[in-house]
Amino acid sequence: MRCKDFQERLDELWEGVQAPEIQRHLAECKECGRYVREMQIVRSGFSVLKRESAPEPSLGFPERLVRRLGELSEAPSVADFFESVGRRFVYATLVFTFLMLMALVLPSTGPVRGLAATDVLMPTQETAQVQVDPLGESSQQDIPDAMSGDAPAPPATKGMK
Amino acid sequence: MGSITPEVTQEIQWIRLAQEGDTEAFGPLVRKHERRVFSLVYHLVRRRDEVEDIAQEIFIKAFRAIRSYNFQSSFSTWLCRIATNHCYDYLRHERASRVSFYWQMGEDRQRDLEDNVQSLPEDGLDHEEQVVLRDLVGKLLDRAPENDRQILTLKELQDFSVEEIAEILKLKPTTVKVRLHRARKRMLEDLRQWREGR
Repeated sequence: MRCKDFQERLDELWEGVQAPEIQRHLAECKECGRYVREMQIVRSGFSVLKRESAPEPSLGFPERLVRRLGELSEAPSVADFFESVGRRFVYATLVFTFLMLMALVLPSTGPVRGLAATDVLMPTQETAQVQVDPLGESSQQDIPDAMSGDAPAPPATKGMK
Repeated sequence: MGSITPEVTQEIQWIRLAQEGDTEAFGPLVRKHERRVFSLVYHLVRRRDEVEDIAQEIFIKAFRAIRSYNFQSSFSTWLCRIATNHCYDYLRHERASRVSFYWQMGEDRQRDLEDNVQSLPEDGLDHEEQVVLRDLVGKLLDRAPENDRQILTLKELQDFSVEEIAEILKLKPTTVKVRLHRARKRMLEDLRQWREGR
């Protein structure tokens, strides 16, 4: 067994387990013997330290603590203030985002539809078309389409003959 | 959580009330767990005069965070997690350095101590030897990185099992074993370097 492998089994040694190969190595390796002695020193130190009793809570510790908690909850801290303000900001952002999403998702026609940009622009364009076409050719051309196939021929064709 | 005894039911009731902001209901919880917290703080921080202040900060922190307690682990484990994390932060800011008696001993005396440790149980050591050992390990803990100190304290001084430590530190048991192994190894290396360098 190599010293490195031996020291990798530190946890076994720490727990007091000594396999035969460990014992064999210990018998012939001075350096690892020293390692084990140091480990025993540290382990014993922990045992001694563990027995050392922690200080007792002073009389009335829970009552004082509860009183302190009461005082703290009465006077909201700066952190509480930022927390509540922050929470409101988050709620407002969520509502705003929801409204924006609704505006994008809602259909462009229907009872819940609001005024869109096209609603404002379309009448203006239509008015412009009427002005550009004072003879009403475009509206006359539309009539045959609307009245199926038995409509008379357009007057412009007759004029050409 | 373990079996539901009247004690556990009572504790659950206190917790629920505290979660609704009832500070009075938190009192019995403090009374029930104060010794555990004091012991943990003392072994982690090793400053007798500061234990109560730190414990108070831990309980205040616990009360403020009690709404996040979801009954997945025991209340004691949850509280120990808060205490361990709080002490960890404390240690990061306060690096203690104390005089150690061990380093003032001559080499012969150190060798005697090693022999006694090997041959006698801890109870068989005389008072001076116990003081020396306690001081030595205290010093090594002071010097150890916070993670090592945390895991060694939980295992060697608080007697938590690997599984309990895993729950407190939110780690896998295998990770705890690896960290424990490394912490022990580092502590021995530190002791070796210290002895050779003095």
